[in-house]
Formats: sequence, C-alpha cells, structure tokens
Amino acid sequence: MIGTSLCRWAISYFAVAIAWLLLAEVLIVAGFGFPNHDIGGPDTLVIVHLISIGWLSTVLCGALFQFVPVLAARSLYAERWTLPALALLTLGLTVLLAGFLGLGGHISGPPWLLPVGAGLLIAGFTLVVANLGMTLWSARPLPGPARFVAGGLACICVTAAFGGMFSLVLSGTGVGAQWPDLLVSGVPIHAIAGLGGWLTFTAMGVSYRLLAMFMLAPDGDVRLGRLAWLAGIIALAIGLVGGVLALWRMTGLNLALLLAAAAALLSLAAYGRDVLGLYRTRKRRALELNTRMSFVALASLVAAAILGAAFVATGSFPSHVGALVFLVAFGWLTGLVLANLYKIVPFLTWLETYGPVMGRVPTPRVQDLVAERRALKWFVLFFAGSWAATLMLLIEAPLGFRVAVAVVMVATLGLSEEFIRARRLADVAEPLRLPTGAAAPHLLISRN
Amino acid sequence: MTIDDDDLVDQIRQALKVVIDPELGHNIVDLGFIYDVSVDDGAAHITMTATTRGCPAASFLKEGVANSACLVPGVESVDVTMTFEPPWQPSMISPGVRSSLGFAEVN
Repeated sequence: MIGTSLCRWAISYFAVAIAWLLLAEVLIVAGFGFPNHDIGGPDTLVIVHLISIGWLSTVLCGALFQFVPVLAARSLYAERWTLPALALLTLGLTVLLAGFLGLGGHISGPPWLLPVGAGLLIAGFTLVVANLGMTLWSARPLPGPARFVAGGLACICVTAAFGGMFSLVLSGTGVGAQWPDLLVSGVPIHAIAGLGGWLTFTAMGVSYRLLAMFMLAPDGDVRLGRLAWLAGIIALAIGLVGGVLALWRMTGLNLALLLAAAAALLSLAAYGRDVLGLYRTRKRRALELNTRMSFVALASLVAAAILGAAFVATGSFPSHVGALVFLVAFGWLTGLVLANLYKIVPFLTWLETYGPVMGRVPTPRVQDLVAERRALKWFVLFFAGSWAATLMLLIEAPLGFRVAVAVVMVATLGLSEEFIRARRLADVAEPLRLPTGAAAPHLLISRN
Repeated sequence: MTIDDDDLVDQIRQALKVVIDPELGHNIVDLGFIYDVSVDDGAAHITMTATTRGCPAASFLKEGVANSACLVPGVESVDVTMTFEPPWQPSMISPGVRSSLGFAEVN
C-alpha cells in the first residue's frame, strides 16, 4: 500500500491528554497527593492515574493510531473505533477519579464508582488494543519497532487486568475480599506493566523509527533493536509471569523483580547503544528541536536507570521510589511525548491543510508552521523543572517540589500554546499561509 | 520519444519542483524522489518514490505530482507509479540541496 490516511481523532486525543496533564500539574502545585500525603493513598492515586492514564496513555493511543499504520504499512483496522475508545477512556477515568476522591473522603460517592470506572477503562483499552492489534496482525512478520508496540499492547492488558482487580479490592466488594494481599504485592506488577511495559517499551519502539526518520539515519539492519527487544521482553516476562507466580505461591516476588530489573537494564543499555548508533550514522547533521529534545528526554531515562540501580544497591529504593517514578513519568516519558508532539502536530496539520493542494500551488514546509527559538525556552523550563522537582523529592523538600512543578506547568502551558499556534497556522507567513483551495484546519479534529 | 517529447520531459521535471517533501522542505526533484519521467504522444509516465512506505504524506505526494504534471501545456494525461524499489537513499539528493540541508558526507 502507498500512504496511510490521517486519523481523524488523533488531535482530539492529544488535546484531551494535555487537559488531563494540566489538571494533574495544578493539583500537584496545590499540594494534593504525594509527597504531602501517603504515596499509596487515594489522593496520590488520583495524581498517578491522571498522569498515567489521562495524559500518557491517552496521548500514546492517539499517536499510535496515526503511527502504527506507518510502521505496519497498513491502514488502521477500524478508524470508527477510535472515537468510542476516547469516550470510554475519558469517562472511565473520570469515574475512577471520583472513586478515589470518595475513598479519600473528598466527596461522598457510592463504592461501585471504582469498579465501574475500571470497567469503562478496560472497555476503552480493549477497543484500542483490538484496533492496533488487528492492524499489526495483518502486517506479519512485524518490523522491529512494531514488535515493541506489540509487547506494549500485551502489557496494557496486564496493567488493566490488575487495575480491575484492585478496584474490586479497594471498593470492598465480596469478590475483592478474596484477595486481601493483592494490593500490597500486586502494585509493583501493575506499575511495571504500565510504566515499564506499556508506556516505556512502546515509546522505545516508536522512537527507533521516528529518530531514524527525523535524522535520516539508516535503520534497515534487521539486528537493530533486537537485543533491546529481547531483553525487554524477558524483563517483562520475568516481572509479570514470575511476579504472578510469586504472588500465587506467596514467596519469591523480590527475586522475580530483581531478575526483571537486571534484564530491563540490559534492554535499556542496548537501546541506548542503538540510539547512539543512529545518531552517529545520521545523514542530517543539523537536528530539529523535536529530535534534540527527544535526546534530552532520553538522558532522563539514563539517569533514572542509573539512580534506580544505585538505590537498589544501597538498599534505599523504597524511600526514593516516588522521585524515581516522577523522573520516569516527567523527565523521560512526558519530555519525549512533548518533544514529539512538537513535530507530530505541525506535520498532521500540514498534511491536512496543504496535502490536498500540493502540485497546484506553492506550499510552506512543516518547519514554517513552528518557531523553534520561541519553543526552546519552554522545553528548557520543562526539563529544568522536571529535574529540579526530582531533586526536591530526593532531598524531601515538599514545597520546593511544588514550586518546581509550577515551573513545569508554565512550560506545559507555553508548549500547549505552540501546538495551538501550529493548528491555527499562526506562524506561516503570507501568501503561503492559505493558498487557493486550502482550508484552515479545525483545532481539535482532522479532516481525512 | 521525439525531441518535442524531450522538451516536455524537461518542462514536467521543472513543473514537479512545486511539489515539496513537507518534512525535508525541498522539492521532490532535487531530493531524488523522481525516478523516471517519459512522454509518449502527450501521455506522461512518472515513476517516483517517497522516504517511507506507510507515510501519510506519500499519497499526497503522488497526487501532487499528477496535479503539477497535468498543468504542463502539451500533457494530455498523466500516469504516476509509486515504487519503493530501489528504496530512496539520501545519496539520491542533488549535491546543492544536500549541502544546504547540512548533510553528512553520504557513503
């Protein structure tokens, strides 16, 4: 096939995701949840799920609906499922958050809010996994980056299954009462599958192709990414299968997690080597802002891996897990996503606006839709704020953490304005901005 | 192909320069996307490529090529074939554009 079409709702996913991110940042700045409250308490669960589901999962789903067809060179299996999936994810998260707020005593809600919210989320993720899974299935044998995505899709199933069980336990149902120890022992598996498998492993796979495309680096070698994928799959298999077996036998969970961490470190090291290799062999010397910022995000992942290994070695992992998760969620994943949105949003806007008139009239470049120098300051603020916030958590300075996250929030607002300006074609000079026959794009929906 | 057809091929190549690769920001002729142009009795046949097979820009590029070639006086019909054999390589970019893009020495 030649060329896939634009996903009508990808931009809508991005907009909803950014709204959830800003809400999470506002709440953190206001002192809601960790570190002012218990790391496993309901208030912290509100923040964690706002970021992991509302922001990161929603934005990743939107990006995958557009990008998996590119990886697979196949059309998306069912474009019509994308809007219902967004509605289910958004409604499910809203109900789940209401359940957590009820649990924390902020509102008086019925106990069934948590399982109903989890059920709606599972239904939404089922639609997403089925849609992307069928698209990948039709493209077997899968190219390297697509295998990472397939692994990530398997992990979101595990994450959602555990989340569903937790909701039954937390809401005090009779079914949940049969697993009294599940919350204590199952949370690491839930977190590894979500943060490590679904979000990080998928992002790694997608970044192989994106970095090669943006840097014009040769990525045709079938061995590229193989070790990172294999070690990552082994890490996830040990962590998830071994973890579940350990839960069942009530022993050996720490050993399973330690072995998984060792394999994960090998995967990350191989990934780092591959990315450096792509960087060294690139044909395009002058890199655009999105690629440069992706490397900064990658530095956060490297820092998180080194810090994590050091904390395990010194036995201080449990007391620093909050700072580490924050660094992974913001410095690595949020940084990588914002950097790539800075390319994806103008690129999709360009295709929608100027693609139909190409060949008839002169058109601007994608780079004409952005102003890198203006956006650079927001990225600098974002990463400086994220690293400062991590440091504040490490030195146990809650007020400093909130101030640093306020800086991150200002940067998020600044970058959001840049995305809106790209959708509005605000930085495209006349007379190229809207040539004859071109129609201005809608802010939140793409024409396809 | 006659001498007139040769002129028409040159005019078509020139006309195709209005089509740009949105990501690289240069016209597709200088980027080496156009593999072949031939004309037979006013019927233009163009063979072209793109950087990535599944890229959503690929179908727009193909349409853009057909649109711009149609505008050349003397062209009565246009047939565009998109191929990925051989795959596009940065070495296919014209030297002037390559240096303006800040490219490394192409092996």
